[in-house]
Amino acid sequence: MTLLLFAGVVTWLLCAEGKEGFGRDEGQYMRAAEHYWGWFEELGRNIRRGRGRLSFSAAEIDRFWSDNAPDHPVIMKTLYGLSWRAFHRCTCTGFARGLHPIRITGRHVTLPLFKRESTAFRFPAILMSGLLAALVYRFARRLVPWPAAAAGAVLAIAQPHYFFHAPIACFDAPITTMAFALGFAYWKSLRSARWGLLCGLVFGIALGVKHNAWLMPVFLAAHHLWMRRGDWRRWRPPPVPLAFVSMAVLGPLIFFLHWPWLWHHPILRTRTYLNRHLQHEHYNFEYLGRNWNLPPTDRDLKLLRLTFPFVSTGLTVPVTTLGLAVLGGLALGRRRRNQALVLDPDPPEDGLGLGLRLGLGLGAGPADDSPPPPLSPPRASWLRPGAGLDRSPGAFIAVQLFGPLAVLALPSTPIFGGVKHFMPATPYIAVAASCGLAWITSGLVEALRERSRQRFGRPDGLPPSHLDDRPDGRADALPRGRGAFAPAVILWSALICVPAVTETWRSVPDGLSHYNMIAGGFAGGASLGMNRQFWAYCVLPILDWVNGHEPENQRMYWHDVIGDALAMYKREGRLAMSVGDTGYGQPGVARSAMGLMVYERHWAMFESYIWDSYGTLKPALVRAREGVPLVIGYERPKP
Amino acid sequence: MWGAAGVALLALLETAQALIAPWRAPRTADWQAATVQLRAGFQPGDLIVAAPAWADPVMRLHAGDLLPIPIMARMDDARFGRVWVLSQRGAHAPEEAGRVQAFEARFGALTLRRFEGVAAEVTYDFLERWQDATVRRWDPVARTSSPCPWQTPASGFVCQASGNSVRRTLVEVDQRIRRALLAPPVPGGVVAVEFRAVTLGRELAVAAGLHDTWARKSPGTVCFEVWIAGQPVRSVTVDNRGGWRAFTIDTAARLGQSVPVRFQISSPQPTLRFLAFAAEARR
Repeated sequence: MTLLLFAGVVTWLLCAEGKEGFGRDEGQYMRAAEHYWGWFEELGRNIRRGRGRLSFSAAEIDRFWSDNAPDHPVIMKTLYGLSWRAFHRCTCTGFARGLHPIRITGRHVTLPLFKRESTAFRFPAILMSGLLAALVYRFARRLVPWPAAAAGAVLAIAQPHYFFHAPIACFDAPITTMAFALGFAYWKSLRSARWGLLCGLVFGIALGVKHNAWLMPVFLAAHHLWMRRGDWRRWRPPPVPLAFVSMAVLGPLIFFLHWPWLWHHPILRTRTYLNRHLQHEHYNFEYLGRNWNLPPTDRDLKLLRLTFPFVSTGLTVPVTTLGLAVLGGLALGRRRRNQALVLDPDPPEDGLGLGLRLGLGLGAGPADDSPPPPLSPPRASWLRPGAGLDRSPGAFIAVQLFGPLAVLALPSTPIFGGVKHFMPATPYIAVAASCGLAWITSGLVEALRERSRQRFGRPDGLPPSHLDDRPDGRADALPRGRGAFAPAVILWSALICVPAVTETWRSVPDGLSHYNMIAGGFAGGASLGMNRQFWAYCVLPILDWVNGHEPENQRMYWHDVIGDALAMYKREGRLAMSVGDTGYGQPGVARSAMGLMVYERHWAMFESYIWDSYGTLKPALVRAREGVPLVIGYERPKP
Repeated sequence: MWGAAGVALLALLETAQALIAPWRAPRTADWQAATVQLRAGFQPGDLIVAAPAWADPVMRLHAGDLLPIPIMARMDDARFGRVWVLSQRGAHAPEEAGRVQAFEARFGALTLRRFEGVAAEVTYDFLERWQDATVRRWDPVARTSSPCPWQTPASGFVCQASGNSVRRTLVEVDQRIRRALLAPPVPGGVVAVEFRAVTLGRELAVAAGLHDTWARKSPGTVCFEVWIAGQPVRSVTVDNRGGWRAFTIDTAARLGQSVPVRFQISSPQPTLRFLAFAAEARR
């Protein structure tokens, strides 16, 4: 099942990613990724010349690795670069040769898995999302039966805003995966010293993906404090668990080692990196009809701003998923210590998992990863801080879910990325939903069994075990035996994913503009004044319109579309090489013969430049989703 | 059992909504049919709006040629006797308020309505007559006044000492495009924009706000004063949060008189305070 979920998610994302254009950030990361590959290429050349050390000089490192520094560490960008190098279909020596950020010396020998270069760049992000589905399943499986765990994995991916970010060559989906991986590693470390050590490794990798990782130990510590609250009540503080020691030691070490840009000036550049994010500009973002580009100072606005992550979650996550997550929260809240979450936590094995286990030698293991019960009860220690204790799954899910939301609720935190800024919370919504699904499914099965008991008069509460028990010999409507409900449970768990999958499918490729049933979809989100999009990913569907306007498109005003994105569209043949770019702002508009406006509330001033310069307010084209405008195209009237 | 039933119902509703919602949006054919009807009944000077307002670009795509930029970037909608509303999903436009519905027709997912009311009669349009103004910079410490002479329509009135100008342009206030006089305050001084002979009606309608989303990230307020016939009649403080602040001054006592009207702009923190205003004298 784990592999099936992984493969299913990867396939789904590969089918969808080509419809999504390149945003400002993704264009930069692709450029940086190719630069970073350039360093490896140069390293190979230098080694062949016997001058391998040259590649590690400050000048050579800065030549390649200062791209997109100090903004983000480089694990994902390096993977994007390596994936591009390995899997693109090489036309690099052709018409777009000059659009590469590195020198193209010849045709690349590759494994041309993908038609477009951008897919090759994006592939590692897609794999990370597949990994997330697998991890959610494996974690949820520790709490609930496999059908509910599998549904949880699907619900983790089938969230329109997450799904939008999942296939693109950025860091928000990968850090969501890494945050979940770290949470999972910590969970295991509560009863396994080996995982305590591995926590440091996972944390280090997470730090190399995105800066959100620096906060993750705080959420984990909150859970640990709760789990060991008995010790604190007795004024006997528990020792610091191995997982935290490992994170404190290995995390910064891996962070430093993975990023060549830090190597020659570690203190100065780490400080630059941290300051970059601690003092990050508040870009414009629309929320509930207001444009937010500063931390609010008025009390009423502070209160309104406080609601941002909660309202955004409530209006973006599919409603059925939210409903199930609320039920899951109730189930986890009602659960007593050391009690299973549902009455029937271990339903019949999933056949596929069994098949895979037999075929691939993968051990599904018991539902819980605890070691076999020892002769004497295990005692909690710094190596296994959760041994012999209830690990408080409800508290764990709560801190992992509400921790990122709480950080974004602080009025001083920039919110320009919308949901993506607190996306590490979203898989835990899905885990909570899987708990809710398991809970109601368990109740449903119990109710059906009860009916069966009443119908067949079995005082032991078990359904009839043989067809022959019936005098007429017919199979009854109700199945028999503990696993007799399994097909219905599997079908029910699959059907419960349909609304989220449908909503997600509907949202492609405009997931950022999509809002759920509570909001009223695309149109409802616009009416509520929720942010529609950012960074101009949405122009891909109008490139044909641009291509079709020669020679005017040689003087094209691109508004918020970054040059790196244009270069990538041209490299892939989606944009004609002759299409120009007149530059930014009012001078760019003044030079242009046609142009576009990416709709965002704060861009109104730029549209006024077009009205003023072109002398018309009549667009030549409006790209809309369900009637909601996303991109507005203009042509300068001919004299 | 009930929980499962509730979740099943929710799932059904959500799936149905996701499948049906895309079909509720107006199609191009709906817009085309509605604008054919609109053009048949349209009279110059009519206002056309979309409801909800976010559909405005689609409305302009189909009927933008009927809308001059000054109408689209209007100060307010008081001077329009007839308002056409292209509505979808049952939405209403704020411009309908105070007017009576005179027409309605449905075109697929779109509804075309016409509302009629009494149009305000403008006795003096400060934006249209902006070149009649005289602009001076007043230094309250030195008690000196220096002229900001007229240059060109593009550059407007330019104050030589500070280099800033007063000109009519399209501005963005509260993320909406307006046509206004852009008159930023100057350091340590007062910018005075005076119209010498304004024919007053019963009221003077004024609106002011700060232009430029990015400039509004800077702190500071602007004091905006209105003087009529040499007397201060209204002072408002314009700040980042105030949006397009509209107010009226009762001038019924001077109905029909031709008097000087002066707008004074000053700020203790004038950096990036792009004050924009518009005004009309109305009968």
